[in-house]
Amino acid sequence: MNAVGFAWRSLVRQPARASLGILGVAAVGALLFDMLLLSQGLILSMSDLLERTGWDVRVSLDESGPGRGRSGVINQVSDVLADIAALPEVRSAIAIRFADARVEGPGGEAAFAFVQGVSDSARMPWTVTRGRDAAGTDQLVINDALATTIGAEPGATITMRPSCEGDSDALPPVSFQVAGIADFPFQETGEGTAAGSLAALSRACGGNQDDKAHMLLVTSTGDADAAAAMIRRHRPGLAAISNDDVVGRVQQSGFTYFRQISTVLTTVTLAFAVLLITVLLTVSVNQRLGEIAALRALGFSRRRVAADVLSESMLIVGIGGLLSLPIGLALAAMLDRILKGMPGIPEALHFFVFDPSALLIHAALMTATALVAALYPVRIVARLPIAATLRSEVIG
Amino acid sequence: MVRDSRVAVVLVLLILGARGAAAQDSVLISRQLAEAEGLVVGGSIRLAPDATGAGARDFRIAGIYEPTPDPARLGQVPREVRLHLPDLLDLTRPPDVPQGTERVSSINVLLADPADASQFARDVNARMPGVVARPAAEAAGAAGPFRVLERFHLAIAIVTIVAATVFLLALTVMHVDERRETVGVLRLIGLPVRRILVQVLLEGLLIAGVGAIVGLVLAWLSEGLINSFFQWRYDTALVFVRITPDVAAMCVAIAVPLGAVSTAVASWALLRRNGLRLVRR
Repeated sequence: MNAVGFAWRSLVRQPARASLGILGVAAVGALLFDMLLLSQGLILSMSDLLERTGWDVRVSLDESGPGRGRSGVINQVSDVLADIAALPEVRSAIAIRFADARVEGPGGEAAFAFVQGVSDSARMPWTVTRGRDAAGTDQLVINDALATTIGAEPGATITMRPSCEGDSDALPPVSFQVAGIADFPFQETGEGTAAGSLAALSRACGGNQDDKAHMLLVTSTGDADAAAAMIRRHRPGLAAISNDDVVGRVQQSGFTYFRQISTVLTTVTLAFAVLLITVLLTVSVNQRLGEIAALRALGFSRRRVAADVLSESMLIVGIGGLLSLPIGLALAAMLDRILKGMPGIPEALHFFVFDPSALLIHAALMTATALVAALYPVRIVARLPIAATLRSEVIG
Repeated sequence: MVRDSRVAVVLVLLILGARGAAAQDSVLISRQLAEAEGLVVGGSIRLAPDATGAGARDFRIAGIYEPTPDPARLGQVPREVRLHLPDLLDLTRPPDVPQGTERVSSINVLLADPADASQFARDVNARMPGVVARPAAEAAGAAGPFRVLERFHLAIAIVTIVAATVFLLALTVMHVDERRETVGVLRLIGLPVRRILVQVLLEGLLIAGVGAIVGLVLAWLSEGLINSFFQWRYDTALVFVRITPDVAAMCVAIAVPLGAVSTAVASWALLRRNGLRLVRR
């Protein structure tokens, strides 16, 4: 019988102890797995979200990133847009204007919503899921959250009272037809969003929003950093940042807290696992000293009994580690839901994101844990004095 | 706190160094800004409302202050300048805005009797439409992200407790198993199961109590280390870990009964067996 088979029999012989050891490793392994997912999750999720939108450079007055944050207004935006679109590094560009609005549904239910007006483009920064895209100056698309709150479906007429220049605006209500329901990549959980053309928003704003926008979205011809640099050179008053810059900022911002806590918890978890598996194996070996000495007397080599203990450690950690993966994924989904309760977090952004490299690191750390935890008990069995141990067992 | 619509002011530090301080308005600067730019009290700085430097004015540094730690701005090094409000309004007023018509972000009000805060806020909200007033205590308690982090940490703590409980059970099972023969002898010489169980329970309580105290000492020692590290990392005076009496009491309240119960549970299976079987006769 080889060392693994022998170790397996040792575990099966004491099922309660082995099960508890494996369950403990599974719980610790799940936490470790989650911390590995957390360490890069936000960055991976943000990168993925930015990539999915298809725009790779953002132009504004003050380096605004994607989402709800609103920067200063870019005036004469049609000139700026034409100018930037003509650059050789730029494939296409659109302008976006933001506003807040009180939106009333056909049944009179009202809600506050975030409104976007986009310059004419073949590709809008949202995905229509029902109905069709907004066209002209009297149609809008709205997201599911707003549609549910105000009870509006494609074809319905809604009334909007926007705040375009500031909170003190008192503009008359304007009616729009809901053309479709859309998903917005950076919409926050439960936040109502409506969008249409820049001209449609201009109409809602009483016509005094002509040729202004808060942000330009640019698709480069390939090199986003070069396009951003060219835009900054060409238009010194504007700030252009690539998706990599946005991700870099997320890495540098307050979300580093999650990386730090992930590192701290990973270290503590591993230390905890090593300590406890060492104790489990050591106590187990100490209870079987007579048996191990007898095996040595029967001809088992030091290397062989050491391999038995090491195999036992590997089996406990291996089975526990495998069990930890589904537990960890379920736990990650729960923790992700908790963290997404933070205000200002886009619905599509996740803190825990599965990445194959996390799986590899998890496997490597668990293997290292099994090896380190087995060191002390292996030392005990390797140095075991056969005759003295057998004698003390017989006398005992 | 009374809050009106937002005014974003970007002040750009343009020229540093010791200029003549006479007849200059004074400002306070944050410690982080002073360290980053090598500024000292009595020195002079030039501030402008935009990046082009247009409309810049000289100010004298009257002092350096440690910003009040703000959890919502964790990770952002506070490079701040505090001006007298009239100076700030003069500096940032657009040319087409007449003096006296500027807007401010918020007004902090110190009441003669702090207990009137809620009533005062209600009165202001009722009498001044468009202005939102709320007690400072309520504003401070509305730190949403940190409520979420609290729930996140609680979830992590629960998982850790579950893992620790499982390991504790495994250890007590082995511990009890090691004493199988001793328990068997005690049974054979006539000690009732209840008596042995009480002894085991007391032993579990003692071990769990000592373990909890050691854990608290370890937490107390690591509290300083963790705070020092994160305060250094984020350049803030914010306290990240605080072992309060309530937290310590909760830890003991969880750890001691858990230890005792796991010992009793692990022992119960052993105590149900016959004494002769326990001594393997």
